[in-house]
Amino acid sequence: MRRKSKYMKISALLLCAVLLTGCSLPGLGGASDKTVKIGAQSFSESEILANMIAQLIERNTDQETVIIKNLGTNFVQQKAMEGGDIDIAATRYTGTDLTSVLGQEVEKDPEKAMDIVQREFKKQFGYKFFDSYGFDNTYAFTVTEEFARENNYKKISDLAGEAETLRLGIDSSWLKRKGDGYEAFVKAYGINFDHVFPMQIGLVYDALKSDKMDIALAYSSDGRIQANNLYLLEDDKRFFPPYDCSPVATGEVLKKFPEIEEQLEKLVGKIDTKKIQELNYEVDGKLKEPSVVAAEFLKENNYFE
Amino acid sequence: METLEQLLTYYSQNWPYVLTEFYRHFLMSAYGVLFAAMAAIPLGILIARKHRLSGWVFSIANVIQTTPALAMLALLMLVMGLGANTVILSLFLYSLLPILRNTYVGITGVEHAYLESGKAMGMTKMQLLRMVELPLSLSVIMAGLRTALVVAIGVTAIGTFVGSGGLGDIIVRGTNVSNGTAIILAGAIPTALMAVMADLLLGWLERRLSPVK
Repeated sequence: MRRKSKYMKISALLLCAVLLTGCSLPGLGGASDKTVKIGAQSFSESEILANMIAQLIERNTDQETVIIKNLGTNFVQQKAMEGGDIDIAATRYTGTDLTSVLGQEVEKDPEKAMDIVQREFKKQFGYKFFDSYGFDNTYAFTVTEEFARENNYKKISDLAGEAETLRLGIDSSWLKRKGDGYEAFVKAYGINFDHVFPMQIGLVYDALKSDKMDIALAYSSDGRIQANNLYLLEDDKRFFPPYDCSPVATGEVLKKFPEIEEQLEKLVGKIDTKKIQELNYEVDGKLKEPSVVAAEFLKENNYFE
Repeated sequence: METLEQLLTYYSQNWPYVLTEFYRHFLMSAYGVLFAAMAAIPLGILIARKHRLSGWVFSIANVIQTTPALAMLALLMLVMGLGANTVILSLFLYSLLPILRNTYVGITGVEHAYLESGKAMGMTKMQLLRMVELPLSLSVIMAGLRTALVVAIGVTAIGTFVGSGGLGDIIVRGTNVSNGTAIILAGAIPTALMAVMADLLLGWLERRLSPVK
């Protein structure tokens, strides 16, 4: 008989525990008041930076964090912030936010673009749009280093006059893009390529390497640029708008946990384009998880002291 | 062969991450089944006593069971938002039917002769339940828990779409990168392994608890 009453007690205890913890179950974190929710999009650099932010906050403050991954687009990210599903967005890009969320004209000067975005986000949503991590993720024309040396190509204008013979591989969406797409590019630089191949972006690198392509339009932070020894041609006429990358936090979360702001500031200006290429490549090319790459970066740069 | 090599590289580089996700995945599945057991076992006993209720209860549980997992998660997400709790609630709902059904069958399957002899010895209703009915039906109830847990581990993998974490995160990331076969496998293998292990563990427990050795 005594054993039975012990069972009853244990189950009663269990039930109480469950009722008490209510929203957040032990071991799972979850949505308690002390949890900071960080949003990440579904590409590597976004997940890496979200993990860095999460690890810094967990390490240096009392707050717990949870990363909401795979937010499809910048727009989804914005809506998730407005709805309170996330408190911090790990990667927001000035060029994208300027034209999509704020609905403004393209601004080619990176500093002006950053100023406008910071001011308007503060005014319209009460969000803090931090200064950039130090890298941007814009379109860039790339050639192999050999090819650049042989032909002495340094900037895009160097291609003028010779473009007829060159084979260009591009992301298929860019061909018809308004504002900074191919049509506008032809107008701005006066360079018209004869052989343009729209293809999936991942294939472009292999094509360059195997000499089936001469020039490719890539994303400047892509890890495969460094891994394949590619050279970025300078956009000397500033045709592509700046896409500087920054974290964004809601006003509420900064008010509730002021110490978070300091943690986010620690990453500002610390990751240049070369570094993010390296980190991206660790994930895309070397099968490392974004959280592992983030931890290694923070450790190497003495963030954990 | 190359995939196998990549798989090993993946594990050697990311094993702490895989372990935490494995643990998280298991916890979510276990919580879902545990809560379902808390609700479904008493309910199963109740409907075994009051047969008229059983039709209704099973119809509802059947309807829940036939809702596709992704649709269930999407519906619950609208109410509960993103996160692990949404997944746990849907696991709770999915686990109801197997546990209910097995408890019901187990209790109603106890031979009348045992109940009568219990009554003849002067047992109260509670004593009959604790000393005769539950021990005799325990292995059937455990079988229900086993089914529920294995199904739950599979459903938890889809939880990644509502931001719950778990091994599903690894699988979905594998589908996003350009050459992710190894990463998909790296997430899928532990998931399958967990289901097999959970089944073996509960099977062992079932044998331990069985009154007839």
